[in-house]
Amino acid sequence: MPRVLLLLPTTTYRTEAFVAAASSLGVDVTVASERPNTLARLNPTALLTLDFQNPPEAANRVVEFSTSHTIDAVVSVDSQVVVLGAAISAALGLRHNSVQSATAAHDKHQMRQRFKQAGVPSPPFMLGSLDEDRAAMASRVDFPCVVKPLSLAASQGVIRADDEKQFIRAVNRLESILNVELAKSTATDDSGTSSQTRATASWRQFLVEQFVAGPEVALEGMLKGGELSVLALFDKPDPLEGPFFEETIYVTPSRLPAKAQAEIASCAEHAAEALGLTEGPVHAELRFAENGPSVIEVNARSIGGLCSRALRFGDGMSLEELIIRSALDGTCELPSREEKASGVMMIPTTRAGRFITVDGLSDAKAVQGIEELTILAHARQPLVPLPEGGRYLGFIFARGETPAAVESALRASQSKLRFEIEPFTDSEAASLGLPRLSKKRLNP
Amino acid sequence: MSQAEISITGEPITDASCRFTINRPVLPDKSFACLNKEAADDSPLARRLFEIEGITRVMISHDQITLHKSSSTDWPMIGKSIGAAIRSHLASDDPAVSDSAWENVPSSDEIRQGVQQVLDSEINPQVAGHGGVIRLIDVQDNQVFIQMGGGCQGCGQADVTLKYGIENAIRATVPGVGDILDVTDHASGRNPYYTPSTK
Repeated sequence: MPRVLLLLPTTTYRTEAFVAAASSLGVDVTVASERPNTLARLNPTALLTLDFQNPPEAANRVVEFSTSHTIDAVVSVDSQVVVLGAAISAALGLRHNSVQSATAAHDKHQMRQRFKQAGVPSPPFMLGSLDEDRAAMASRVDFPCVVKPLSLAASQGVIRADDEKQFIRAVNRLESILNVELAKSTATDDSGTSSQTRATASWRQFLVEQFVAGPEVALEGMLKGGELSVLALFDKPDPLEGPFFEETIYVTPSRLPAKAQAEIASCAEHAAEALGLTEGPVHAELRFAENGPSVIEVNARSIGGLCSRALRFGDGMSLEELIIRSALDGTCELPSREEKASGVMMIPTTRAGRFITVDGLSDAKAVQGIEELTILAHARQPLVPLPEGGRYLGFIFARGETPAAVESALRASQSKLRFEIEPFTDSEAASLGLPRLSKKRLNP
Repeated sequence: MSQAEISITGEPITDASCRFTINRPVLPDKSFACLNKEAADDSPLARRLFEIEGITRVMISHDQITLHKSSSTDWPMIGKSIGAAIRSHLASDDPAVSDSAWENVPSSDEIRQGVQQVLDSEINPQVAGHGGVIRLIDVQDNQVFIQMGGGCQGCGQADVTLKYGIENAIRATVPGVGDILDVTDHASGRNPYYTPSTK
């Protein structure tokens, strides 16, 4: 039986989906994480620990492992392991993206440089540093702009600024977010590796990107030999105009005109080519501006969070099954997405505090078209909204005859949820790096 | 029921394996695996499928049959033979798995005792390192119901621990165990060891 190596960070949302997919496919599995599973001793063939911060060393370890257990495919589950996946695949001689292309896709600055060099439509940008004079930097910026950390995900630390004053405030806020994240990673990392990595200069760098107006879409695709197949195109019907960029609703199929969708697909393929990506899943985020599509990001991974549950292919195949199958067999056919419209709402964290409980679940689940509602927050969990936080409260999934019906079901369902959140004490708020603002102003 | 009403959908998983879904249960609420032809004595359905050239493994679970093959023949080429074997079985009065197969399965009490021992001696001392605990809730026929508590409840890695740790240890030690089902309310976990947070 073929064996797949799943590179699963311990904090990924995707564990359940990938384990279920591998199990359903009946393939042998080895799971590699950055920290040891408590039961690794009982099943060392299936439970590996790798240093995610050191791809060459991890690749050597896997090569050694594969002498007794042949690995037929490597699947990188999240952004943080795409470079590692490429390094391991290269060492094993498996079909995969090159390490250089995976690195370019993972590094937000390098990505934009490649887009610029290749003429991929994308927002003009500059690289900033927390060590630079902020007023001087602000004088060089074209507004409106968006300040983005190089090291965080899920819109954490991403802030729009419309003038020099706002820009300086945004950079100050980003600095305190990065300081808190660095302290967290130092405190929780028993190996010490990630703190070493994060303490490098890039941890203090950030992007300043021109804000591009227009609807945003997310493209889910699969690359084979550099050719992009679009698996799904999601509209994001909530306007993402800032000051923070909370992703909420994704609905597919897109309601954009067919011509616009074709331009988006072509632009995403051009962007993947500019990065040098040739194989595996791709998740791209684009704006459709007045003059056409503009690429915000292209990642060499599939859609994050639990959002993949909104996708079914062929007779009900999950996205994770499709990814594993494609990794094992580069020639396998990609089934089409189901005909029904489908969507997901990432339930936003709208208030800072400790999660106590949520009411209205039954009513929210009873809304016509709602298929699943999952609350991920656990009792007493600290909740921090954007831009400081980066976690979702939960996910709502809907299917329907039209995208409009799906969007409406998701909104109706969310409106029935009432979250009880206990405000942080002043010292808790300070330790989380929350700004001294009134509670109301924390969530503009 | 006539054979014409039987609908079978084949979905190749890899070159070597294919899952067939039938529009009715062939082994209601149970699962049975034949890892080779010699192990198919107790399963008339598996015996029919092993007659098809190249078939190396048969797994029957409720309304699904997963087959593995060694030959280079494409699934569509042998799909008709597989469909015919399944239809022919369903048209017969033969059980998918004979009663004698279940006679060899330990009693629920024996399974319960064996699983509890694995949990006490192998699993729980280890997961306690993350503040976790695994409880045996019930055994029905050969199905085992477990619950994950403490740091395991709601943990982002719970599925990995269950599938590749707990399940593997139980199957290696206690013969005849069927499905191992997690009945944990993970959403109510108060202190999960790993909390999902990344894309």
